[in-house]
Amino acid sequence: MIKVTGLVKNFGANEVLKGIDLSIDKSEVVVIMGPSGSGKSTLLRCLNFLEEPTEGLIQVGDYEVKAGGKIDRHRKKVIRELRKKTGFVFQSFNLFPHKKAIENVMEGPIAIHGKGPVEAKAIAVELLAKVGLADRADHYPAQLSGGQQQRVAIARSLALDPLVMLFDEPTSALDPELVREVLLVIKSLAEEGMTLVIVTHEMNFAKEVADRVVFMDEGIIVEQGTSQQIFENPKEDRTKQFLSKVEAIVAE
Amino acid sequence: MDFTIVIDSLPSLLKATGMTIFLAAISILIALVIGFLTAIIRILKIKVLNEIANVYVSLMRGTPLLVQIFVIYYGLPQIGIVLDPISSGILALSLNAGAYLSESFRASILAVDNGQMEASMSMGMTYTQALKRIILPQSLRIAIPTLSNSFIVLIKDTSLVSVITVTELLQMSSLIIAKTFEPLTIYLVAAAIYWILISFFTKLLDRLEIRSSKYLVR
Repeated sequence: MIKVTGLVKNFGANEVLKGIDLSIDKSEVVVIMGPSGSGKSTLLRCLNFLEEPTEGLIQVGDYEVKAGGKIDRHRKKVIRELRKKTGFVFQSFNLFPHKKAIENVMEGPIAIHGKGPVEAKAIAVELLAKVGLADRADHYPAQLSGGQQQRVAIARSLALDPLVMLFDEPTSALDPELVREVLLVIKSLAEEGMTLVIVTHEMNFAKEVADRVVFMDEGIIVEQGTSQQIFENPKEDRTKQFLSKVEAIVAE
Repeated sequence: MDFTIVIDSLPSLLKATGMTIFLAAISILIALVIGFLTAIIRILKIKVLNEIANVYVSLMRGTPLLVQIFVIYYGLPQIGIVLDPISSGILALSLNAGAYLSESFRASILAVDNGQMEASMSMGMTYTQALKRIILPQSLRIAIPTLSNSFIVLIKDTSLVSVITVTELLQMSSLIIAKTFEPLTIYLVAAAIYWILISFFTKLLDRLEIRSSKYLVR
């Protein structure tokens, strides 16, 4: 479903990703963890070409884009097609503040799929109900809590009927009491068989939903395996160090 | 102060105010179009046009409006372009205001949070779609206060067109003073008219700003 081969990303002289190979199957739930600056968010952003990779190949479904290619019309079009198939959920929600919740969700079907307002609205109503916000359809983002905003953002991505959903620290900007409602929505997607790639620090959540945990540090994948393998039986020292730090914080 | 003079001259002054409003309204409309297009050209960095836009904005902001009016009205006829005073005035005012408006538009577009563009792109929108559907509607709200400032300046700048014999409010005041020898009274009345005009306009834009910000209210 998703295949990343030899992915390198440089910001100037700073090498953030140093050759990532990763493939993700349909319906797989992959959680990416690692210390800040390890490149996990950059990896996710490269999957959606929010960052242009320096080297490597990215395949999503039937679309594949090679890094460093000439930026022409055709390439832009392939990238747009690839983006349509990959829902991206941001840490800071990035809802469109001038549009109501329901209009945010209708935006994809209308602007991207060319649907009419009636059909788009039907899709949006259903998806808002799915994330538990049917009664907030006519609220503007500013009138919603962070957790509600993030759920609308998830519905907005789902409205494009993506092959895979990418979550970039979806709960990091939320007050603690609002984290759960967002995680529950993500969990329900996992249970439905949606392919998910999630960058998060929520270890318990990772244990609950992840088919595979990928641990990254300093721009490489240090090790990966089931959540049990990674959390209870890490092989690499860097993984152990990271986990002991995170556990210390959770224990506090 | 002689109030009969005020009353006698009021009809002429109000008629000239009509010309002032006409000059300002037409110039604002043209300036909005020029300013918007210039801003888009500069944001998209469209080849060649971008260079032209940069020179245009720099020239308009770097030279006095009065000089621009003189160049258009007295200078252009020398190369065969003869415009009547009103057209010259409108051209100068809209070119001048357009440059300032383009800066307002540009700043307001750049002021929209980058996450908005990212969210649009991540959905698979084209850059133009993202601008039209997501960025511009938000940037216009941000632009209103500075646009409103430029509009006020433009209304006042219409008085400069009096030097090329357009009979707007200031020109009319001077004509009346030439007959009545009451500069203090007449100029104060003219000032009052400008003030009322601009206050009205400011109120209007304030309302627009409040209305366009309603989605930000919690």
